Amino acid sequence: MQVPVESWQDILAPQALDLVLMAVFVAVALASFFRKSVRWKFVTFVLAVGYMGFSKSHLISIVDVFGVLDRNLPIAKYNIGYYLFGVFVIVSTILWGRVYCGRICAFGAMTQLMDAVLPAKLRVEPPPRIERHASRIKYALLALVVVYFLATRDMQVYRYVEPFWMFGLFGTTAMWIGLGVLLVATVFVRNLYCRFLCPVGALLGLISNLTVFKIKRWSECRTCKICEKTCEWGAIQGPTIVKSECVRCDDCERLYMDQKKCPHWLILLKARPSASTSAPAGSSGAV
Amino acid sequence: MKKLIWTLVAACSVGTTIVVAQRIITNPKPDAELKQVFPAAVAFSALGGDPLHFKAYGVDPKTNPDAQPIGIVFWTTDMVPQEHGYHGPIHLLVGLDLKGTITGAVVDYHSEPYGYFSVEPPKFAAQFKGKTIRDPFIVGRDIDAVSRASITIASATRAVRDGSRLAASKLLPPEATK
Repeated sequence: MQVPVESWQDILAPQALDLVLMAVFVAVALASFFRKSVRWKFVTFVLAVGYMGFSKSHLISIVDVFGVLDRNLPIAKYNIGYYLFGVFVIVSTILWGRVYCGRICAFGAMTQLMDAVLPAKLRVEPPPRIERHASRIKYALLALVVVYFLATRDMQVYRYVEPFWMFGLFGTTAMWIGLGVLLVATVFVRNLYCRFLCPVGALLGLISNLTVFKIKRWSECRTCKICEKTCEWGAIQGPTIVKSECVRCDDCERLYMDQKKCPHWLILLKARPSASTSAPAGSSGAV
Repeated sequence: MKKLIWTLVAACSVGTTIVVAQRIITNPKPDAELKQVFPAAVAFSALGGDPLHFKAYGVDPKTNPDAQPIGIVFWTTDMVPQEHGYHGPIHLLVGLDLKGTITGAVVDYHSEPYGYFSVEPPKFAAQFKGKTIRDPFIVGRDIDAVSRASITIASATRAVRDGSRLAASKLLPPEATK
């Protein structure tokens, strides 16, 4: 019997199913994002936790950042999905901001599902001043682990700065206790890890400053506070959306479209009948 | 300016060659592991030859100068240095008899972030014992898959598969690869 030689079919066949399922998942996630659909966003969350999380453990980890830093990454032809997913995360962040954090990351999807299921009365909203300071912790953590890695080349530090290993169900007792504490805290402060601690989120936050397709703002947004109060991510400060904190959850964009809630439409619709009946031409009701 | 660029290009290529050619030695005297991956052998040669390998002897060549090797032991990193997992090569020591059957394998060093529950447990390397270079080595079929560490498991499996096939074709008698 001849010794077999590896063919392209041998290389591609084991990856085919994973690639198809990942494409389906990304398609659902993007469809939910473009349609601003709450229902499809929750479908995306469930798929993210179930498939990308517990089934594949395919999340962007600080380990991948380490791999880029010392140019030591998996072999491309055997890991096509790994690279396609990485490129998708970076490109989507440049195009729209932290979409990855908002609906594709399995851990973020899990804490958002927790928030949807848990009674709202348990929730504590941190005051904006504290929130603003706390949101900077993740940048400090990113800088700290990167410096630590470059100095020691010890990758195992990932165990102590991110909880993504939980989807692989492998951890020491200390790691599980730490995760337990984090999840209990998340019951009270929603998406605590994503907003304040995640080093990967911090890196994507830095990249998101390049965002090409930004969220539209009306001139009325300067005085109106509805979206700022609605934003679960503390990403709206007065008239501006802080790109690095925004995960493109669609909440404010759905408000913009709501002609019964957004002052922009309320003013416009109030002005229009008068404009068409009594006001002289040229003095439209635009604010 | 042109000269500077050429100097830089030359320096970079020399540097790259050195980095590529560098053999990472993690365990220069793996005596206990040699015995473990080739239990039938009583003596081993020093690491040598091209590609680098240990010769395994059934009788000690020191007492019997006519002793012939009964197989070889090699580091996967010497046979397939280009193979790497999530983060660098996984160093496996593999024993191969003259027929191309694996007599044993152990994982020595790795820098895989998720290695401690995938390739580190001894039962991973143990499953290669008794396989031949003609076996398919497909993760999930004849090699156990460890979910959520697929990059690491797949790379270690390829290292044993391709390392053994290369070692057999270059170092074993021609019957082994027939």
